[in-house]
Amino acid sequence: MSTAAPAPAARLRRIAGKLLSAVLVLLVAASITFFVQLLLPGDRATVILNIRNGRDQQWPAEEIAAINHQFGFDRPLIVQYLDYLAGLLRGDLGTSYTEFRPVTAVIGAQLLPTVVLTVGALVVAWLIAVTVTLLTVRRGRILGGIGAAFEAFTASLPHYWVGMLLLVAFAVQIPIFPVIGGDTPAGTVLPVLTLAVPLSGFLGQVLREEFHKVLDQPFITTARTRGMSDAAVRLRHALRHAVLPGITLSGWALGALVSGSVIAESIYGRPGIGQVLVTAVNNRDVPTVAGIVLVVAAVYIVANVLVDLAYTLVDPRLRIS
Amino acid sequence: MTRPRPFRRAGVAGLGLALAGSVLAACAGGPSAGSGTRIEGGTLTYAHVQEPPCIFGGWIQQAYISRQVLDNLVTLDTDGSIKPWLATSWEVSPDGLTYTFTLKEGVKFTDGTPLDAEAVAFNFDQWMTTQLNGTAKVSLDPYYRAAEVIDPTHVAIRLNAPYPQFLTLITQGYFGIQSPTALRTRSQAENCEKPIGSGAFVVEEWRKGQEVVFKKNPNYTSWPATAKHEGPAYIDELRWKFVPDPLSRYASLTTGQSDVVYEIPTVHWKDAQEKFETTIRYITPGKPISFYINTAAGVFTDKLVRQAFAHGADRKGAVEAGFHGVIPYEGNPAMSRSTPDYNADLADAYPFDQAKANALLDQAGWTGPRTPEGIRTKDGRPLTVRIIYGAGSFITAEGATVLQALQEQWKQVGFGVELIPLTRAELNSGRFSDPTTYDAWPSYWTSPSPAILWIVWRPTTPEKPNGNNRSFYNNPELARIIDEANTSTDPERASQLYRQAQQIISDDAAGIGLYTQNTLVAAANRVKDFWLEHSQGEPVFSDVYLVQ
Amino acid sequence: MTVLARSSSVALGRLPRPGTVLAGGFVALVVLAAVAPGLLTSDTPTQIDLTNALAPPSWEHPFGTDEAGRDLLTRVIHGTGLSLGIGLGATGVSMALAIVLGAAAALAGGVVDTLITRLLEVTFAFPSLLAALLIVAVFGPSVTTSIVAVGVGSMPGYARMVRGQVLAVKESGYIEAAHALGHRPWRVFRQHLLPNAMRPLVAVVTLGVGQSIVWASSLAFLGLGVPPPSPEWGALLDAGRGYITTSWWLAIMPGLVIVLFAVAVTSLGRTLQQRLEGAAR
Repeated sequence: MSTAAPAPAARLRRIAGKLLSAVLVLLVAASITFFVQLLLPGDRATVILNIRNGRDQQWPAEEIAAINHQFGFDRPLIVQYLDYLAGLLRGDLGTSYTEFRPVTAVIGAQLLPTVVLTVGALVVAWLIAVTVTLLTVRRGRILGGIGAAFEAFTASLPHYWVGMLLLVAFAVQIPIFPVIGGDTPAGTVLPVLTLAVPLSGFLGQVLREEFHKVLDQPFITTARTRGMSDAAVRLRHALRHAVLPGITLSGWALGALVSGSVIAESIYGRPGIGQVLVTAVNNRDVPTVAGIVLVVAAVYIVANVLVDLAYTLVDPRLRIS
Repeated sequence: MTRPRPFRRAGVAGLGLALAGSVLAACAGGPSAGSGTRIEGGTLTYAHVQEPPCIFGGWIQQAYISRQVLDNLVTLDTDGSIKPWLATSWEVSPDGLTYTFTLKEGVKFTDGTPLDAEAVAFNFDQWMTTQLNGTAKVSLDPYYRAAEVIDPTHVAIRLNAPYPQFLTLITQGYFGIQSPTALRTRSQAENCEKPIGSGAFVVEEWRKGQEVVFKKNPNYTSWPATAKHEGPAYIDELRWKFVPDPLSRYASLTTGQSDVVYEIPTVHWKDAQEKFETTIRYITPGKPISFYINTAAGVFTDKLVRQAFAHGADRKGAVEAGFHGVIPYEGNPAMSRSTPDYNADLADAYPFDQAKANALLDQAGWTGPRTPEGIRTKDGRPLTVRIIYGAGSFITAEGATVLQALQEQWKQVGFGVELIPLTRAELNSGRFSDPTTYDAWPSYWTSPSPAILWIVWRPTTPEKPNGNNRSFYNNPELARIIDEANTSTDPERASQLYRQAQQIISDDAAGIGLYTQNTLVAAANRVKDFWLEHSQGEPVFSDVYLVQ
Repeated sequence: MTVLARSSSVALGRLPRPGTVLAGGFVALVVLAAVAPGLLTSDTPTQIDLTNALAPPSWEHPFGTDEAGRDLLTRVIHGTGLSLGIGLGATGVSMALAIVLGAAAALAGGVVDTLITRLLEVTFAFPSLLAALLIVAVFGPSVTTSIVAVGVGSMPGYARMVRGQVLAVKESGYIEAAHALGHRPWRVFRQHLLPNAMRPLVAVVTLGVGQSIVWASSLAFLGLGVPPPSPEWGALLDAGRGYITTSWWLAIMPGLVIVLFAVAVTSLGRTLQQRLEGAAR
C-alpha cells in the first residue's frame, strides 16, 4: 500500500518486538490483578460461602477448610500463581469461583455487546465532533462560540447523567427506544449516545484546536488562491490534518469508554463486560476479574496498534519514519 | 394476618387499604380474573432485580428463580397450613421424630429420571452434607438426622428431636428437589446454569447479564395443591429479565415492555395501583428489617442506652413518611407481623419519647459535658453509634432516607450516629462479624416460621458459633425457651414460648424494630392469575395466562 | 476524565471573553460556598422536615426539597466543600504519584525508566474504573476512598506528562549549569527542575479538578461514593435519580451544578493554558 515502506525485515522485527512487549504487558496486568486481589483483606472461601447462601458473616473453620480444599486455596500462593500463569499460556483463564464456568466462557458471551457499545460510541462521537467542527469553526464569532461552548458543555457531562436523561426522555416520556433493550439494535442506540455525547465534546475540542492551526497554514492559503471552494478546503485538506491528534486521543478514550460502559450497562440493563466486572469484583472472583483485565488490556493494545496504523494512513509523512 | 393480594382493582386502592393489609380472596378463575379474550400460550416478560450466580442456592434470589423449575415436597397455603405438592400426604410419628411422606406417583424430572423416594433422600443428603445450600442446612440444624427410603413412593425423614416447624420450613424454595442423575453426572457448571427439576418450566437459556429464558414443561404433572389450575403452564415462555435500575424497571412495565415487575419503588406504588389491576404487597415473614444491637462491645453493652436509643427517635413516623405510606412500620424486632406466632404486643414497643430517652441516658451516666456537636459524653467518651447497613439491596434508597431522618432525631437526645453504607464486596467479605466493627445493623432474614428465632438468636458457643446472631446476644434463657418452643409438640405451648422469646429480645432491646421486608409487585392488565407463593413471596408463573 | 489529563496539548479556541468572566464568577461563587457556606444560606443541610418532602422549586426552596424535606439548594451549597475537596484531593493524589513515578523515570533513566514506562503502559491498559472499583469495593465508600480511587485512576496520564516535562527540562542546559555550580542534586531537583517541569502542567491540573468531581460523582452513581447524609454533589444526584420521573429537580439541579462547575473550571483552565503557552512561545 504505502510506497515508501521500510524494508520488510526491519518492519517484521519491529512488529515482533511490539508483540512481545504487548504480551509482557498483558501478563504483568493479569499478574498484578491476581495478586492485588489476593492481598486485599478478606478471605475467598468466606466470600464464596456468603454468596452461595446470601449471607454476610464468618463461617466455621471446617466449612472454610472444605472450600479452601475444593478450590485449592490451601496451596501456597506461589503455586496458585504459577498454576494460573501456566493456564494463561495455554489460553485457559481459569474457572469462575461462583459460576463454575471457564472464565473464557463468562467473558466470551459478554465481550461482543461491550465492543459494539464502545466502538459504536467512538464512531458516533467522531461523527458528532467532525460535524460540529466543520459547521462552526471559523464561521464567525457567534457560530464559533456556540460550537466551542457546545463542546465544553458536552465534554463536562457525566455519563450517568446523560444516560438517565436520555432514558427518561426517549424511552419513558417519548417511548421511541426500549427501556430494557438488552443488546438488540434498538436497545443499543441510547447506550451508545450516552457514551458518545461526552466523548464528542473531548474530540471536538481537539479537532477545533487543530483546525485553527491548520487553517492558518500556508498550503491552505495556496489552495484557496487556486480557487478551491471553502468546503473542499475544509474537507480535503484541513480535516485530514486536524484529525491526527483526535486519532491518538481515540486510543486513549477506549479506557474511558470501558469505564463508562459499566454505567451505561447498568442504566439500560444491557449485558456486557462492565456489569460482569462489577459483580466479579464484589464476589472476589479472582480469575474472572483478572481475565477481564487481560481482555480489556488486549483490546486496548490492539486498538492502539490500529491507531498507529490509522495515523500512518492519514499522515503520509509518517510512513517513512 | 397479611397475605398476598393477587388482585387489586384500579381505583379501589387507597393508602389506608394498603396499610390495613386486607386480603381479597384468591378465587382461581373467578370473575375477578377480568376481561379480555384469552390467548393461547404466549411469552411473559418478568423484570427482576438481582441476578444470582447460580439458579439454585441458599440466597433468596435463588429461591425466587429456582421455584420456576423445581418442585417442593409440600407448600404453604395463605392460612399458614401445609398443603400437598410432590408429597400427596405425610404422617408424623407420635414421638414427632419421623415424617413419612407419600410421593405423587409417576412424576418424572425433565431429564426422565423418576422423582421417587431415592431422589428425595438424595436431595436431603445434599442440603445437609454439601455446601451448596447453607440456608437449607441452617434451617434444619441441629434437628435433622437422616432421610430413609422406605419404598419408591415413601420416604422418611428422621429427626433428633421433635421439630413441628420442619414442614413449614421445607416449603421454601431452598428445598426444591433436583434430579439426582443431573446432580451426580453433570458438571457443577451445568447444574448451576440449568438445574433439572420436575417443575412447570425448564431453563432454556441463560443470557448472563440480561435474562433467563424458561420454556414450559409440557409434561408437567406435579403442581401444588395451591395452584390455580391443574396441568402444564399456560404460557409457552417466561423471560426472566434482570433490571437492577428501579427507574428502568418500573418504566418497562408502564411502557409495556414487561408484564410483571418485582420491587416497584414505593414512590411509584400509588401510580401502579391506579394503572394496573394486579398489584401485590407481600409482607415477608421472618425477621423484619430491624436493628441488631451490638450487646457485646461499645455503648450498647448498657441496656439503658439501648432502650434510650429505641425511644430516642420517631421510627414509626420516619418509616411512614420515608416509604410514602406503602411499607409498614414494625416495632417487633424479632419477627414481622406476617410470621406465625407473632407477638403483636411488641408492634409498638418503645414509642417515640425523647424525655424518656434523656432520662434513661442520664440514669446510665451519660451526663458529661456535651461535645460541640451536642453529643453526650461519659468519662470523656462521646456517645457515638455506628450504624452499618447493606446499601442498595438490603436497605433501599428510601430506607437510607429513613435512617437519615432518625439520625437527626437521635442527635437531639445526644446520640452521635454515624451511617456507614456497606458495599456488596464488604458484606461478602464477612468483615463485619467482629463486635468491634459496629454498634447497630438493620437487616432482615426471611423465614415462614418462628423457628427464625433459633437461626438468628441462638447463642454463639465455642463449639457451635452462630454467625447470624449479629447482636452478639448470648442469652441462655432465651436459647432454652426457643429450643423448647421448637421441640414442643403442643402448638399452644410452642406459640406461647415463641411469643415469650420475642418479648425477651424486645425487653432487653437486643434488637430494635424498624419496618417489614416486603415484595411489591405489579402485573400488566393482560396478565391473569399471577400470584406469589406464601412462604417467602416467590413469584408463580405456572398459572398465568394472557388476555388480549 | 482521564482523557483530558492524557492530552496535555489539548487547547480550545478562545472562548468569548464574557464566557471567561461568567466562568470565573461561577467558580468564585463555588469557592465561596465551599469556604463559607453560612454566607449563602442560613439553613442547615440535614434539617429534616418530612411534612414538606418533595416540594417542587419555589421562592422559598429555589431547588425544591428532597425526599426528607431538606432544602436542596442548602444541601448543594453545603456539599460544595466536600465535592471541591474531593476534586482537589484526588488531583493532589494523582499529581503526587505522577511526580514520584514520572520524575523517577526521567531522572534515573535506564532500567528504572523502562520499568516505569512499562508499568505506566500497563496502568493505561487498565480500565481506570477498575482501580476505583477495587479500592472502594474493598475499603468501603468514604471521602478518603473516593479521593484515593479517583486519584489513582487518573494518575497514569499525569505521570506520562511529568516524565516528558522532566526529561525536557533535564536536557536543557540550564540544569546542567546548576549542577556545575555545585548545587546538591536534591536542591537542584526541588528548586529548579521540578518548578520548571511543573509550570506547563498547572493548566492541566486545573482541568483535572473539574473532571475529578465529575468522576467522583460517577462513583456515587455506582453506590460507591461518599455515604449519606453527606450532601456531596454526586451523592445528592444519586439519591435523586429514583425520583426523576416524579420529582425531576432532585436529579436535575445537582447534575446541572456539577456540569456547570466542570464547564467553568475547564474554560478557565483552557484560558490559563493558552496564556502559559503564549508566554512560553
